[in-house]
Parts: sequence; C-alpha cells; structure tokens
Amino acid sequence: MRYLTQILDIALRELGILWKNRIYGFCMIVFPVVLVLFFTTMLDDGVALDLPVGVVDQDNSATSRGLIRNLDAMQSSRVVYRFANITEARNAMQEGKVYAYLYIPEGTSSKLLAGRQPKISYYYTMTCMTAGSMAMKDMKTIGSLGSAAVGQATLSAKGATPAQIKAALQPINVDAHMIANPQGSYNYSLTTVFVPGILMLFMALLSAYALGMEMKFDTGKEWLARADGNIVVAILGKYIVHALVFLLVIFLYQWYIFYVLDFPRLGGVWSIVRLSLLQVAGGLGFGIFAFGLMPSLRMSMSISSLWSVLSISMCGSAFPVAGMDAPLQAMSWLFPLRHYWMIYQATVLNGFPVIDVWFHLVALVAFTLLPWFVLSKVKNAMLNYVYIP
Amino acid sequence: MCTFLNRLREHFTDVLYIFRHELVKVVKDEGVLMFLVVVPLGYPLLYSWIYNNESLHETPVVVVDQSHSSLSRQFINDCNASPDVDVKYYAEDLDEARSLVSRQLVRGIYLIPTDFATRVSRGEQATVSVYCDMSLMLAYKAVYQTAMVEAGRLGAGINIKKAGNYTKREDAISAQPLAVDDVAMFNPSGGYGSCVLPAVLMLILQQALALGIGMAAGTARERHRNGQLIPDDDPHYRGAYRIVWGKALCYGMIGAVAAAYLSMAVPAMFSFPQLGTGWTLFWMLLPYTIASIFFGLTVSCLVRYRENVMLLMVFVSVPLLFMTGVSWPQSSIPGYWQGVSWIFPSTFGVRAFIRVNSMGASVSQILPEIRILWIQAAVYLGMACLVYRHQFFVSKAAKPSAD
Repeated sequence: MRYLTQILDIALRELGILWKNRIYGFCMIVFPVVLVLFFTTMLDDGVALDLPVGVVDQDNSATSRGLIRNLDAMQSSRVVYRFANITEARNAMQEGKVYAYLYIPEGTSSKLLAGRQPKISYYYTMTCMTAGSMAMKDMKTIGSLGSAAVGQATLSAKGATPAQIKAALQPINVDAHMIANPQGSYNYSLTTVFVPGILMLFMALLSAYALGMEMKFDTGKEWLARADGNIVVAILGKYIVHALVFLLVIFLYQWYIFYVLDFPRLGGVWSIVRLSLLQVAGGLGFGIFAFGLMPSLRMSMSISSLWSVLSISMCGSAFPVAGMDAPLQAMSWLFPLRHYWMIYQATVLNGFPVIDVWFHLVALVAFTLLPWFVLSKVKNAMLNYVYIP
Repeated sequence: MCTFLNRLREHFTDVLYIFRHELVKVVKDEGVLMFLVVVPLGYPLLYSWIYNNESLHETPVVVVDQSHSSLSRQFINDCNASPDVDVKYYAEDLDEARSLVSRQLVRGIYLIPTDFATRVSRGEQATVSVYCDMSLMLAYKAVYQTAMVEAGRLGAGINIKKAGNYTKREDAISAQPLAVDDVAMFNPSGGYGSCVLPAVLMLILQQALALGIGMAAGTARERHRNGQLIPDDDPHYRGAYRIVWGKALCYGMIGAVAAAYLSMAVPAMFSFPQLGTGWTLFWMLLPYTIASIFFGLTVSCLVRYRENVMLLMVFVSVPLLFMTGVSWPQSSIPGYWQGVSWIFPSTFGVRAFIRVNSMGASVSQILPEIRILWIQAAVYLGMACLVYRHQFFVSKAAKPSAD
C-alpha cells in the first residue's frame, strides 16, 4: 500500500514534468501525429500510379501506336514523352524526367506480320526500385499482350472458342493470393513499420532523456526521496506515466489505420493490444537501460537514437534479415523493433497464433526487464553524479 | 582606406579566431565528435554492410502437390532450380502448409490442384495457386514472379509440342511472336543496396552536419556565462557575420572531408555503382555541403537545448529519405509533401547524387538541382546571419540580467 501511494505520488510529479516541458508534448503527441499523417498521405495510392515513361517509336505503324496506347492505359505507366532516338531517351532518364522508355525499332510491324519475330526493348531505371519494378511489370504485360494478340487473331480465324484461345495462349494460369494485402499496397507494408519504429525511437530517447534531465537539473535526489530511496518504486512511478501516454498514442494510431483507413489485418483486437503493451514496455526498457549503461544525458540519448535509427533497417521489413550476413542476422536480436515487427506480421497482419513467435515475445519481455541490471547504477548516478555540460 | 583595411583585417582575425575556437569545441565535446566524426565514418559502413548482399535469393516456399503428375513435378523442379525460390517443404494439404508459414519457415505456398495435369492434357487452362506472405515485399515478388515465369515457360513448352512445327526457329516464333527485351539500367541486378545506399549516404551528410552543429551550439549555450549562444565575455564574438563565417569555415572543413569520404570512398569499398566523375561530384557536393552547413547553423539557433536538436533531426530523417523519391517514386509524392521537401537540402542533394553517381549524369543534366541547392545555400546563409544577429541582440539584452 505504501508503495502504491509512493508510485502515485511520483506519477503525479512526472505528469507535471510532462506538462511543463514542451518537448514531451511534441515528441509524444505532435510528432507521432504528424508522422502518421505523413506516411498515410504519402503512400495513399498504395502502389505507384502513372509513372512518367517515354517512347522511342521508329516504326510509326498502327501496331506500334497500339502498343503505346496499351502502355499508356496501364495502371502504373503514363506516356509523357516521345523521343526521336535512344540517346534522347537516356538523357531524359538521367535528368529524372522518365523512369522507363519503350523502344520500337523500324520494321516491327512488318516483321510481326511476316512472322519473323521482331524485338522491342524496354529500358527502366532501377535506381528507384518501386518505380522500376512497377514499370517493368507493366511492360511485361504489354509484351505478352502483343504476342497474344497475334496468336489470338490466328486462332479465332481458325474458329477456336474463347475458352480454347485462353488455354492455347496461356496453358498454365497462376492464381495469386496476396494474403492480408491483396492490392500489394506499400501503404500497408511501410506505414506499419515506420510509424511504430519511430514511436519506439521516441520511447527510447525520451526515457533516457527523462532520467538525464533529472540529473541535469539535479532533481534526482528529490525524486528518489519520494520513493524512500527505493529505485524500483521510483522507476515504476516515473515510467508508468510515459507508458500510459505512449499507449494512448499507439491505440489512436492503430484505431486510425485499422478502423478509419481500413488497413487489412487477420489478427484480432487482442493481438493488437498485446503487441502494443509489449512495444511500449520494451521501448521504455531499452531507453532506461541505455541510460544505465552510460549515465550521461547526451551519451545515452546519442546511443538510443543511433540504435533506434539503425533498427529501422535491421528489423528486416524492407531488406529481409535472412538476406543479410550471418553476424548481422545474430545482431538483429538486439533491436527491439525487430521483435515488434516479427510479432506484428505474424499475429496482427496474418493472424497466426502468438506461440509461433514466442521467442520474439520473450525477447521483448527481456528488453522490458533489462533496466533491472542497471538499477543500482541509475540510483548511484542520481545521488552522486554531477552534471557536466 | 587605411581604416577600411584595418577593419577588414580585424574582421578576418575574428573569423579565424572563431574558426579555431569552434574546432577546439568540436574535438573536445564527445557528443559533437560522435555526430561529426564517428557517425559519418561508421554509419555508412554499417549500412553498406546491411545492404551488401543486394538481393534476396532462395526464398523458402512449401509445395502442396495434389496432382502428383510428371507435369506438376516438372513445375516444382523448375521453380526449385530458379535462383529466387527454394522448395523447402512438401505438405499434404493447405492447413499443413499454412502452419509452416505461421512458424516463419516459408514465405509462400504453391498449391497444384488435383486436376492440374488432366486439364493440360485435355487442352484446357490449368491453374497453379500461389499464396504469398505479404509481410515482405521482396519475398512476395520472388515467390510470385518465379511462379509466373516458370508457369509461362512450361506453358510455352506445351504449346510448342502441340504446334507441330518443323524447325526450332518456328518453335521460338510460335512461342513468342513479338520478342521483348527488358533491360534494367543503372542497377542491373535490381539490388536493394545499390538503390537505397546512395540516398542514405547523402542524407547522413546533412543529418550529421545538422546534428553536430546543433549539439555544439547547445553545448555552447550551456557553457557560456550568460546562457546564450553568443558569449558576452569574448571580444572576438562581436558581429553576426564573423560568427557565421567562422563557424561555417570550421564545419565546411569537416563537411568537405565527410562529403569526399561518403561520395567516393564508401561506394568504392563496397563496390556500389559509381559512374560519376570526380568533377561532376564536386560541382554537386559543393552547393550541397554549403547548403547543409547553413541549414544546420539556422536550425541550431532555433533550439534551446542541444538534446532537442537530436530529437528533431533524428525524427525527420526517415521522412526526409522518403521525400527524396528513392524508396517511393517522386512522381507519386503528393504535391504538398513535394512542397515541404523543398525546405531541405537533402531532397535535391540526394536526387543529384543518385543521378551523378548511379546514372552517370553530367553537370548539365543535374543543373536544376544544382541551382536549387545554390539558392538554398544562399537563403540559409541569409537566415543564419539573421538568426545570429537576432541572437546577438538577445545576448545583449540578457547581459544585465546575467550579471
């Protein structure tokens, strides 16, 4: 009971600090809101639509114009330039005006009619992979449509039924099921990593910051006195407020993406709540641990920020961890965001049972408990260290 | 005339004094040293290492073969032989396959239905179902595209058998009357590192400078007797211009080394694409570094405590990378975010660098970006002078109360 009143007392004190220091308000509420709006509006289309592409049409025939019209009608491509030759087209690509261009050499249509297999070429830049791969996908479709048109004309002239033509043009069809993201939307896959990732960055940074500020303004002694020198009670009281505010923000974010923007998910509400609790606990635990390792405001914050920024790459959502070198694969265990993301994609996105990713769950619990090892160091720092700017 | 020369000399002495003073501060402050030296040196190496393997090969998949025919086995073998997919497991049914996905052992399921071979023999269209785990875009592409390519090839083989052609050439033409050659340019293997890393390198330059300058300014505020950015007890700090120039000289020196290292040494060390010539890089990096420094000086005045600059700059780094158009195409960025992106030198620095470094563009081809960078450099120089002038008045006002 005594502990509970102490925790409440410290929590109220912390609430006052959060209220007075505007930095907390910005980092806990304003920045996350801006961030959610940034990613969701930036990636609102889901996939890249109407990428500017060019054509070099040296054939100038009905067939080539048909190909160009088809290309223009594709979802991701918009023909905005017509070039006289390849050099012009390449220059435009280097100037960033087009992501790809189609080259139709002279004699394409006559060779096509004569059955001499003409070749058209498609050049796309892979310096922006989303644009490059979308452009390539469109072009592949155009190419096979071009071939199919020839076969279709021949077959229907021979009197084949539509079903026969379909089977003849494509004997084996691939029926793709894109589980939990049927549109292949980048919004669903990127927003759900970057926003939690930067939120965890703020958790780690602010929890180190909160301890550092106690030291900087020499209020640590008073803080500990309220807990009768019991560091566990002091830490609990301080961070319960941080945890509640972050949880509130995270729930707001989850509500916005899942209930307003209707992001797909196969997991239930409980899987989201469980993950959010683990995320907040792990993120705060990491920050406190970083401070305990180096009880200095700027060093602990520097370490937390460098580590958290790195975690956005190391969580393996864009470039998978399995593709990295072995030492890096081992290192990925040291990043809380990695575990968050693994649990997210298994339980929330795909709706699988949490037992299948239990080791990541244990890892996040371990991050929560990490401060245990440095409690005495934190206490010592509060009581004996002098802040040096 | 003589007084003018004297004043000029005095001005330069002050600039050089501030330059030296700033440099000493940088070296002595471990926080600043970390962001200005350790981060530009170490971070690019770490990122290069992460993305060094470029692409994903042998994505594990599970096959549910209900057809048990020679045709289905051929399809599975073809997929297994492809570079991007590894058939790691066979499952009896979809539920068993699903549990393998759940345990993160595979990234996709190929389901070959019972009537697969029968339908092909009947001359009907057969179907292969592909179930993709969408949590990894790269894995999804590997799983899906491999199935597409192999199904197409197998289908073409079936067609050729049925066509009854006489020559190989006829086979080739009947399979594909219109040949399509797709050529990936500037990053032919489609490597993730070659795509993202050049952008990360340039972003690190701006962020490290802004963080370093901001932290140094924050430390200065805390150390100075009056608690202001400009000390009142040092006669050399008596004009905004000399302070801005002195500081810019110091950070320019560090920035020049960092820029050269990031643009030339790091890509060479990890064999990332490097098509730019030294001089083109120079003409691009010169305005970028200058703009980044004045940007950093401007930002450093806006924040009171040095921790705040860290919170701010670290937070914006991921959105900044997005606004450059490297991971999300520039043409798909909404207009208002494009507008916001004009505030930051990194937007144009990254675009120009990618075009020079990865695409081999010449100076004339990146002229628009270079112009904007020079404009940004000029605007931020003006703003840095303005905010320092303002600081000057603030310090003077603070003086009586500090005493």
